[in-house]
Amino acid sequence: MTAFHFFNCAILTFGPHAVYYSATPLSEYDTLGTSMKAALVYLGTAIVKLVCLANFLKVSENDEFDPYQESLKALIGLVDVAGIYFALTQLTHRNISQNHKFQAVGLGWAFADSILHRLAPLWVGARGLEFTWDYILQGLEANANLAFSISMAALGSLMWLRRNKPKTLIPLIYICALIVATMPSITSYLRKRLDWHFPEVVGFELGSSLVMAFISWQLFSACQRRSS
Amino acid sequence: ILSAIVSLPLIELEARIMSSRKPGDSDVLSSLYSMIPLLFLLLACVELSDAAAAVDVYRLVQYDISGVPFGSRIAALNHHAASLHSSAGADLSRSVLIIPLRELNISLVKGNFQLRLIALHLELDYVELDSATLVMTEYISQKKTLGGLLLLLPQMFNFESGDMAVTKDDIHEMERLKNLLVELEELLIHANIPYPVYFAFEHDDIEAVLADIQRNDVNGQAATPTNGGYKFVVSAPEPKKLASPIMTNIQGWLPGLKPDGDTNQLPTIAIVASYDTFGAAPALSVGSDSNGSGVVALLEIARLFSLLYSNPKTRGKYNLLFGLTSGGPYNYNGTHKWLRSFDQRLRETIDYAICLNSIGSWDDKLWLHVSKPPQNAYVKQIYERFSGVAGELGLEVELKHKKINISNPRIAWEHEQFSRLRVTAATLSGLSSAPELFQRTGSLSDSGYLVSEDAIRRSIKLIAQSIARHIYDQQEDMPVFADDSSLAVDLSYVRLWLDLLSRTPRVAPFLTKNDPLVAALKKELAEHTHEVTVQHELLDGMFTFYDSTKAKLNIYQVASVTFDLLLLLAVGSYLIVLFSFLVITTRVHGLIYNFNHDNCVSSFCLLFFNHPIDQL
Repeated sequence: MTAFHFFNCAILTFGPHAVYYSATPLSEYDTLGTSMKAALVYLGTAIVKLVCLANFLKVSENDEFDPYQESLKALIGLVDVAGIYFALTQLTHRNISQNHKFQAVGLGWAFADSILHRLAPLWVGARGLEFTWDYILQGLEANANLAFSISMAALGSLMWLRRNKPKTLIPLIYICALIVATMPSITSYLRKRLDWHFPEVVGFELGSSLVMAFISWQLFSACQRRSS
Repeated sequence: ILSAIVSLPLIELEARIMSSRKPGDSDVLSSLYSMIPLLFLLLACVELSDAAAAVDVYRLVQYDISGVPFGSRIAALNHHAASLHSSAGADLSRSVLIIPLRELNISLVKGNFQLRLIALHLELDYVELDSATLVMTEYISQKKTLGGLLLLLPQMFNFESGDMAVTKDDIHEMERLKNLLVELEELLIHANIPYPVYFAFEHDDIEAVLADIQRNDVNGQAATPTNGGYKFVVSAPEPKKLASPIMTNIQGWLPGLKPDGDTNQLPTIAIVASYDTFGAAPALSVGSDSNGSGVVALLEIARLFSLLYSNPKTRGKYNLLFGLTSGGPYNYNGTHKWLRSFDQRLRETIDYAICLNSIGSWDDKLWLHVSKPPQNAYVKQIYERFSGVAGELGLEVELKHKKINISNPRIAWEHEQFSRLRVTAATLSGLSSAPELFQRTGSLSDSGYLVSEDAIRRSIKLIAQSIARHIYDQQEDMPVFADDSSLAVDLSYVRLWLDLLSRTPRVAPFLTKNDPLVAALKKELAEHTHEVTVQHELLDGMFTFYDSTKAKLNIYQVASVTFDLLLLLAVGSYLIVLFSFLVITTRVHGLIYNFNHDNCVSSFCLLFFNHPIDQL
């Protein structure tokens, strides 16, 4: 029975990635290689972040929100942005359109994130007899993360890969990018300073991910419309 | 970060494999082999300890008498929990029934109307007490199957809990609970129960769980994740027979003042007490009264006489033999073997033996049990001394005669073992009648709360004074062990040993040769006597015991299968909806463009995505 629960949570956590890949034209254009390369870039980014965190961050005994530590964590979070930049611009891709490139990179990024952060707790915890809601919430969080990663990749591709952007939209693009990049700090602020519980935080993440995905979709198609 | 660290070796490995795809690359393979045990180790370690609560539980004793099985025959437990409040027709054969000791009375009278009618009709109080056993009778004696039984005992029976302040019951309630437990134990010990039975103590965690279960059972709700279906798991191996249960007898010899002749010709007085116990839960049988009180009294008497005998001027012309015997509950098997090991001459020099049994919870009357008829000269002499001293101390000692039946293997008192070898002996006890097999053998209900130090003190004074009067042949009443002399009964010594014994379960088959308690008793006796010998004997082959007396119960809050199925349905439909949404928004535009007859879709796209359909 508990293996059943593990299966449920696993398809909730990793299913959307597979569904996204097969439902959109990504599968037709065989962008698996791009996604895999993006996943590897995510790994490299994770290692760099770990090293930086270990070196520069102090471990606090209580779960207080320390502005200095949090801003340090946010700075280190910008390494993520650098990673996406690297994945979008420096890697050699096969000849695929801008549209599909950012989706593939975002997908690979989110998949690697889910595997690294959520597979181990799922394997260890969801198979036990004890029932908690945590793994279902974690799966929902993975979904929100997918939306965030794709939005981030879209905004990144707008920022770095597109030459002719409408002038009015540029600040909006940068603001949205900043919001998505600092989303981890925002959620930890909510959790620690405002004492939100895990379900509430996940709800917030889901809502904001939908909003950000919608906005970045609008921005992307607006830029695409202008350029074509 | 933890999961990243966990996955890091795997990922590193993966990366290396992907980057260097040379077959036969021993570098990669060797790192692979070194990672795998690390991974398994990690997986194994982290799989434990995810229970809602973990409770110490103690198993019902499991034993055979001449091959006939008794007690609970199984140790492992893995079932859902249920309480007495579940509906009458509920199938409990795959559930663990939790019963708090306090509730045994009440829930029973509710369920058994016939008995209540009888009780009312006859206006009998005792029926209510006896009815407590009826619920057990249904499930135990009539062998209705259960998945398991967990009995919750009040903290007053928990010797690990510490001081008196822990108990929240008054004296009347404590008395009632004690009687209830005695009856329950008797029923459980003599029954053959095919499912696991465990005892646990009341505690906040488990009381919260029990309240939850009772609420669910009363409402008749099936278990859901938020309302809490609980699963009780005890992972214990199959109980194995204890290979050779050993009884250890400890004797101390205090020689008297030898005249010009040999010490061995001096007469001997023996003081004996059995120190082991037997109860429904071997890990909890501390036996404060039966026979912790006897052991404590023996040690204190040994101390007093060693003080007296240390000075040659006050050393009596009697040898003193102190015996701490084992195997008491099993028809005093240890005493039997100890006596058989005696030299014939030594046995003949024993003037008389006093056996001590349960002298810690009496009010003002003690009994001296004998097997020789009261008219016997020796018996008369002993009794006169005892009653004389008792009169001075303000207590009463009554003589009780019980004939020995040679054909009956049951030996109810320790002095009967002496009497069978023609040694004059008597048992001093607070019990008025002979106990049956496994009755009053220091079981669960015999906790430290119910023993009075003052009763022990008075018993010690009585015994020591009577023996001293015999040794020094005093006619007038000169108190040797007066209260403010250097030979006064040391209450702190009594308290110390009583406390130690009330915390140490002492079931003989579970005491090894090197048991710390046995070593402590030997050392203590060695301090007060001249010579100490320890004798190890095998327990009578008629009794066989099984191990696995203590375990940890894990309580898990589980979700039902319907919940998992519903979740699967929900996630499945979510994925299907997501799939269709993505297909529609990213691919279908070609199809719609070709057909171009369904304006709904194009206006839908205009409305929501704000550009005409061909731009998507």
